[in-house]
Amino acid sequence: MDNKKEQFSAVYDQYIEKIYRFVYAKVDSKETAEDITSKTFTKGWKAFQNSENNIENMSAFLYQIARNSIADYYREKTHYKAVSSDKSQEIVDDSVNIHNEAILSSDMDMVRSAIARLDKEYQDIIIWHYLNDMKISEIADLTNRPAGTIRVMLHRGLKNIKGLIEEA
Amino acid sequence: MAKITQKRIISGLEELKNIKPSSEWVIFAKSQIFEEQKEPTILNNQPSLKFVDFLKFIIFKRKLAYSVATLTFMIIGLIGFAEYTMPGDTLFPIKKLAERSEAALTLQSGIKHNVVVLNNRINDLALATKEGKKENIPSAISEINVNASELAKNLKENSIDDISTIKDIASGLKTLTAVEGTDLTVNTDIQDIIQSLIIDLEKTTLTEDAKEKLDNAKKLYEDKKYNLALEEIFYLANNQ
Repeated sequence: MDNKKEQFSAVYDQYIEKIYRFVYAKVDSKETAEDITSKTFTKGWKAFQNSENNIENMSAFLYQIARNSIADYYREKTHYKAVSSDKSQEIVDDSVNIHNEAILSSDMDMVRSAIARLDKEYQDIIIWHYLNDMKISEIADLTNRPAGTIRVMLHRGLKNIKGLIEEA
Repeated sequence: MAKITQKRIISGLEELKNIKPSSEWVIFAKSQIFEEQKEPTILNNQPSLKFVDFLKFIIFKRKLAYSVATLTFMIIGLIGFAEYTMPGDTLFPIKKLAERSEAALTLQSGIKHNVVVLNNRINDLALATKEGKKENIPSAISEINVNASELAKNLKENSIDDISTIKDIASGLKTLTAVEGTDLTVNTDIQDIIQSLIIDLEKTTLTEDAKEKLDNAKKLYEDKKYNLALEEIFYLANNQ
């Protein structure tokens, strides 16, 4: 148990910023990012404890948990919107106010808002490569896609971000 | 919005890349994650808790065992002490309780139990008289009357089919007649018992000598010489 705790502690130290950034780029607030990141590592730690063998690809393992947690978050948020119409105005829809954000905020906020609206397949690859410094070969391994495809997707992703910002 | 350059997008991505959670939150979140695991750890420790409970249970059981043992010794001591009590003594009810328990354990019932109890009370009276315990004599006589009444009633309803029981009854009553001041003519229950013994003996196959003794007993009983009738029955039963 202590050995596993030490191992996962090291994993936490290694991935906490990357997972946080991965989440932060996809949600609407720092608090939400913190909450989802925390849930990701909690679930990860539980799974890690129960695993008999070592997890081969820790990076893929944690990103998958983070993706699922984000999906859960949006599912709950949509459900909340659907069941509570009087509160709907209070819920920030990050796809609506990109224009205002572009005027009032920095390039970072514009890009972040655009990433949040990006198709999922481009979203992850952009974050991994540009925000978390993953090499194209690593993303290729993680996604089981050829490196060339990743390269093309990165190019298209950037193009889509540009389009989303300019559309707003 | 106006056109945005690739350079600004890359700049925005670079800024995002520098986004980091606060170090305080990182430490706090880490502690929370491992803290949450304490719960399962506690659950995992349940066997040790159970072991502690088990130890407590054993200690409790030992205490209980000591208590039960002490209580048992006290009861045994009390019963042992009560063995030497007589009717009228404080602990005499315990002696009676012990007799009932013994009767239950030895599957003693009906007439046989009545006989044992009556003989015990007769022995109590004999002892009380011998030791000069005058305060016990009234209670002993009272106990004899009660038990004699029960036995008489039982003998009217059931016949005795073994000679040893007749011998025991005769022996007990003979002891009673030996007690100073005993007068069987005033106790109709004892008279009834003697009569029942005669009736039951008539039903059994007797030797000529025994038949003669029984005829004598009948005659003595009719003459209200109960002590002598009892002597004949006692002799008959012992030689049958």
